[in-house]
Amino acid sequence: MTNPSITKQEVQFRLKSSQEYGQASFSGIVSLALALVLLLNSYIPSTGAFKPVVLIASLTYFIFTLLQLAVWSLIRRDLIQFGAIKRSTRLLGYVLLLSILSANLFIATAAFQLLKVKKSSAYTLSVYAALTTLLVFAVSALNIFKPYVANGFLIGMFLLIIVTVLQLAVVLLVAKYADKPILPRFMWVVAFILILTSVSGNLFALFLGLLLIAKLRDKGHTSGSKLGEVVERLSRSSTSMLGLLFILFLLTLSITSYLTFDYGMAIDNNYSLILQSPNMAYPLGTDNFGRDLFSRIVFGARISLVVGLMSTLIPVVIGGVLGAISGYYGRHTDNVIMRALDILYAIPGILLSIAIIAAFGASTVNLILALSVGAIPTYARTMRANVLLVSTLEYVQAARAFGSSDSAILFKHIVPNSIAPMIVKSTLTIGTAVISTSSLSYLGLGVEPHIPEWGNILKLGSAYLETHAFTAIYPGLAIIALVLSFNFLGDGLRDALDPKLD
Amino acid sequence: MIGHATATGNGYADRLAATYRKILLHPTYRLLILLAGAPVTIIVYVAYLLLKSKSGYTSIVEETRNKLLKSGYLDELLLEAKDQLERKHRFFGQTVNTEQTAREAKQLASQKFEETLQVQLKERLSEESGLKITFGDTYHSLAMNPFFLVLSVIIGLPMYLLMAIYANPYVKYIAERLFMAIFVIFGVAFLVFTILYISPMNPAANLLGETATAEQIATFNHIYGLDQPYLVQLWNTIKGILTFDLGKSFAGNENVTTAIANKFPVTLTLTFIATLIAVLIALPIGIISATRPNSFLDYTFMFIALLGLSIPNFWQGLIFILNFSIKLPWLPATYNPNNWLSAIMPIVVLGTGLTAAVARMTRSSTLEVIHEDYITTAKAKGLARRHVLWKHAVGNALIPIITVIGLQFGAMLGGAAVTEKVFNISGIGSYIVDKQFIPDIPSIMGGVVYTAITISIVNVIVDLLYAFFDPRIRSKMKQY
Repeated sequence: MTNPSITKQEVQFRLKSSQEYGQASFSGIVSLALALVLLLNSYIPSTGAFKPVVLIASLTYFIFTLLQLAVWSLIRRDLIQFGAIKRSTRLLGYVLLLSILSANLFIATAAFQLLKVKKSSAYTLSVYAALTTLLVFAVSALNIFKPYVANGFLIGMFLLIIVTVLQLAVVLLVAKYADKPILPRFMWVVAFILILTSVSGNLFALFLGLLLIAKLRDKGHTSGSKLGEVVERLSRSSTSMLGLLFILFLLTLSITSYLTFDYGMAIDNNYSLILQSPNMAYPLGTDNFGRDLFSRIVFGARISLVVGLMSTLIPVVIGGVLGAISGYYGRHTDNVIMRALDILYAIPGILLSIAIIAAFGASTVNLILALSVGAIPTYARTMRANVLLVSTLEYVQAARAFGSSDSAILFKHIVPNSIAPMIVKSTLTIGTAVISTSSLSYLGLGVEPHIPEWGNILKLGSAYLETHAFTAIYPGLAIIALVLSFNFLGDGLRDALDPKLD
Repeated sequence: MIGHATATGNGYADRLAATYRKILLHPTYRLLILLAGAPVTIIVYVAYLLLKSKSGYTSIVEETRNKLLKSGYLDELLLEAKDQLERKHRFFGQTVNTEQTAREAKQLASQKFEETLQVQLKERLSEESGLKITFGDTYHSLAMNPFFLVLSVIIGLPMYLLMAIYANPYVKYIAERLFMAIFVIFGVAFLVFTILYISPMNPAANLLGETATAEQIATFNHIYGLDQPYLVQLWNTIKGILTFDLGKSFAGNENVTTAIANKFPVTLTLTFIATLIAVLIALPIGIISATRPNSFLDYTFMFIALLGLSIPNFWQGLIFILNFSIKLPWLPATYNPNNWLSAIMPIVVLGTGLTAAVARMTRSSTLEVIHEDYITTAKAKGLARRHVLWKHAVGNALIPIITVIGLQFGAMLGGAAVTEKVFNISGIGSYIVDKQFIPDIPSIMGGVVYTAITISIVNVIVDLLYAFFDPRIRSKMKQY
């Protein structure tokens, strides 16, 4: 096995082809960077002292970073010497799993991948499903330090605990059985429980449930479902999985917050608690009306997700249909549709939104419509290009020879086969929609000012930039994290679906 | 081509006629040229009819048709088509009434009959040359007459201008592109005006306050022409946009175009400098990333680029003000045209998104080009790495990058409103935002339309740049 004279290329190849090695280096570097950021933030320049809580967090991150880097060098040595990772190195993953207690997801996800030799898409999904619920549970649990909690808090937390336990059990079951060519019968029950738990918004659980059912029905006849293939390719990129994790975490949090968070905390003025610095009861401080910033940001996620998704979905459908018709019928239809859309395309999105909102007033519905209208031409162009490409293929000719109608050919044969670039493009532009929403809200043109939307929170906070900068920094960080997640996911999806984007 | 077959040695007439024939093949241009040179068209048409009847072409067509009809060919075709249709219906299990089948069969048969007729005519005409006269041929024979040529230039000058444009592919491309831009500009004016026209908002009530009487509101609407019908208002607005006179704004009673002319240069200068700096930074970063794909440097650069795409402008601006104006008193927090230091932060904030987008695009497009066959060939020839990269790869990778720069410049100009609000810059963006609460229709109209016009002009320039830099587009242009 050990060959002392392997070439540099071979070393490179072994390192590059090992998923664990790449994930270990990624998580090590990111967690080192986070530790440094925390260290810098814990230092107070005016007094020369350190904030104890932040300093402890920073030190914990440093410890896990060191551990991760040690494991990284072990993996590297194993790969160079033996060409595979030794069992003893893999077992160190259990130590690294402890990092989840410090909310260090980067190391935790890498550790989960390190523990399993043969990774299946079911295993990856089950780990991420459990992690999402665990995170939501931890974040919701922060509410116990508050003077009072929401009415449904106890029920909500109880349900979250049950779901967490169930999903952790699923991780173990999946790790044991999912590699087998034929799954045992009781997996039906597991799959249904998973789909039931996905009501919380945890779509990882839904995907896993569907994947298991597909495998159960398949009985080992085929090599696997399409969903499994996409998940497998997607899970090779740590960044896109983490992006998806954050998006689904926010989704689950938005849904479970109906039970676990008190809306009053986010909107009722409390003049005895104006502009409090972050503390245990108010983890991100309070704003100039004494409202809890943490709750406000959690409720803001709901608006941002809804507006972002809706203002992407509407233009995808309208633009997609227009583009498909334009590309399929060609000639005059094409000319008329595309020239009309050229006009829309000439006005920058934000400016068109401002004009529409100026005409119809600022409200959430108008905002969604305004953002949607501006995005139609881009999607129409993407769809048109794909339809032009697909409609020259042989199976379309075959369908025509069989006497299918135009609409059947277009919507049954062409559109489903040209949808991949639309998915990628829409994922990448949800981020832009989120930024536009908060930008317009910041200008006072978006969501109504009394609704806790991230742009609104930031607008209020920006007035206290000099004295209480945190009121403007935290909502901004939330926006960046969400947009970055969508961008990472979009990049990952582009690699996984591999459409030819123009 | 017919043009070559009928060359007569008269240089001018031949060239003119060749262009004329080519234009007649293109449906839109045919209509345009026939209309542009209406007097000439009439002369040519009369001559065409005369020539046609003289040459006996029509009689030959009639003769051939009658011969074919007499031979019972049409009935034969009809039967065949009917049989075909019936078999088709039986195969697909369709039930179609006999009347419709008969109609379809007749259509099919007549179509086939015409085809055969044309084939036979062609055979016949190839035996006896000089019989078939086309519209283009008529023009050709007329153009050989110098008197007609001079006369037609005088009465049909627009037609000759159109022909001159059509004859040169570059000029034709530029003309078409400019026509599109003008169409888009009018479209934008129409769209924005219509949106503001159907608005349920009432600027008069907003400005005059709740205590305003119906008479006051009516007077206000009369002064600003808001009581006129839609088409009149639309016509006035479009005229106003073209003559740079959009009247007075509702609030403040200032001249809208003067106000816009004062604000626009500020925004344009800032965005232009931001674009320039962004491109200068982004191109090297993208190329470095592409030459070392999947390295630590590549990942770091691309992560920073993605971060740059994900930061909202206003938040970035606030953080900059917090760090560089409040915590460290290095730069002024608000923009002042007389202090260049105050322009640094707005330019950086404006340029971040563009830098990120261009760097990502440069990377992916250079990576794509690097894997092309001709790069392998260049390497195999033993060219230096540097030479291959700069001479062969980057030049070709630039095309999509220029597109992104053009598009992003537009987005930046439109999105400048947010940055302008953060740094208190009195540019066009913050002007529109300030005016939208009333809503001050002429101001918003002017701001949006003039911005869109600027963006359209930039896009035209980008497109023309392509045409002159990219040999592939150049050759495509010549073909059509």
